[in-house]
Amino acid sequence: MAHQVHAYHMVDPSPWPLTGAVGALLLTSGLAIWMHFHDMTLLALGLILLLLTMYQWWRDIIREGTFQGHHTPPVQKGLRYGMILFITSEVFFFLGFFWAFYHASLAPTPELGGCWPPTGITPLDPFEVPLLNTAVLLASGVTVTWAHHSIMEGHRKEAIQSLALTILLGFYFTFLQAMEYYEAPFTIADGVYGSTFFVATGFHGLHVIIGSTFLAICLLRQVLYHFTSDHHFGFEAAAWYWHFVDVVWLFLYISIYWWGS
Amino acid sequence: MAARLLLRSAVRAAAACRSARTPALSRSMAAGGIPTDEEQATGLEKVIMKAMKQGEDPYNTMKPKHYAGSKADPHLVPSITNKRIVGCVCEEDNTAVVWFWLHEGEAQRCPSCGSHYKLVPHELPH
Repeated sequence: MAHQVHAYHMVDPSPWPLTGAVGALLLTSGLAIWMHFHDMTLLALGLILLLLTMYQWWRDIIREGTFQGHHTPPVQKGLRYGMILFITSEVFFFLGFFWAFYHASLAPTPELGGCWPPTGITPLDPFEVPLLNTAVLLASGVTVTWAHHSIMEGHRKEAIQSLALTILLGFYFTFLQAMEYYEAPFTIADGVYGSTFFVATGFHGLHVIIGSTFLAICLLRQVLYHFTSDHHFGFEAAAWYWHFVDVVWLFLYISIYWWGS
Repeated sequence: MAARLLLRSAVRAAAACRSARTPALSRSMAAGGIPTDEEQATGLEKVIMKAMKQGEDPYNTMKPKHYAGSKADPHLVPSITNKRIVGCVCEEDNTAVVWFWLHEGEAQRCPSCGSHYKLVPHELPH
């Protein structure tokens, strides 16, 4: 064991921050190259590098915490702060798009016909698929809480079942939303309505996919006995993120789908 | 369809509530299939967990004990060498911290408020 007088984790040197930075650089410049010159090489390279970085970095964290015991109570506290700060930053990210939506919709310009929804736009009926999506995400919030309690009480089978159900509900949401995108009578190019609608709901959808992936990793770890009834922060972080995704959807639904229709 | 889905999740939540109220008699791999920290913790986490059970804190995870600071009840300052830096916040909310080296041996007093501090040599926890 390390000869230290403190309970913190002095992490071993790692190449993943560097590969992550290079990957992010290739991804962003690759995105620009693809948009202007229709070449996907740099973009694909950046994506692969970033995916490999995420896989290896988080694998190393699992090794350090679960297999080597470096995640002592103070270290876990730091991880909790980290996740909360990250989710807070994401809240601000979405706040920006809500600002754009309300700026455009509270005082619609003459170019739109002075009304919201703008002239010519047929918005989606909020009481059809969007309402089902709301129910699906709310239900997934219940099942993820069920999974948490199952873990804390030591019920392996229930934990696996409720976590799997949560992920399935997440996939169902994504599938329904994809269908909505395909069938929508308006596109992202349809003025500020299209822009605000698809950018806000699009980024939300991306976060649903990220959250579902995080939960899927947790399911795999739960099956492999990584979590104990007292120490399962990886799962808690995923659950927090999932609740955040759910809350963002509720705001999207109320603002864009319902009030904005 | 949405109503059916909502009803189903409400039934599941009610079932979960019912099962949560009955206390688990024993939480372990044998009882429910999810290991406890007692069974599975390892490394530094395990060392700290075991020490906490004996009421010890070798890695200083808890707030230091409170002492009166008088000659009879000096602040006991653990150290792995024969001296340690002490920062005395003489009065609550003071913004100027009084820093000084505390050496092994007789208790020293804070040059500002006069509180007593005594160095207590400790072994480096391995």
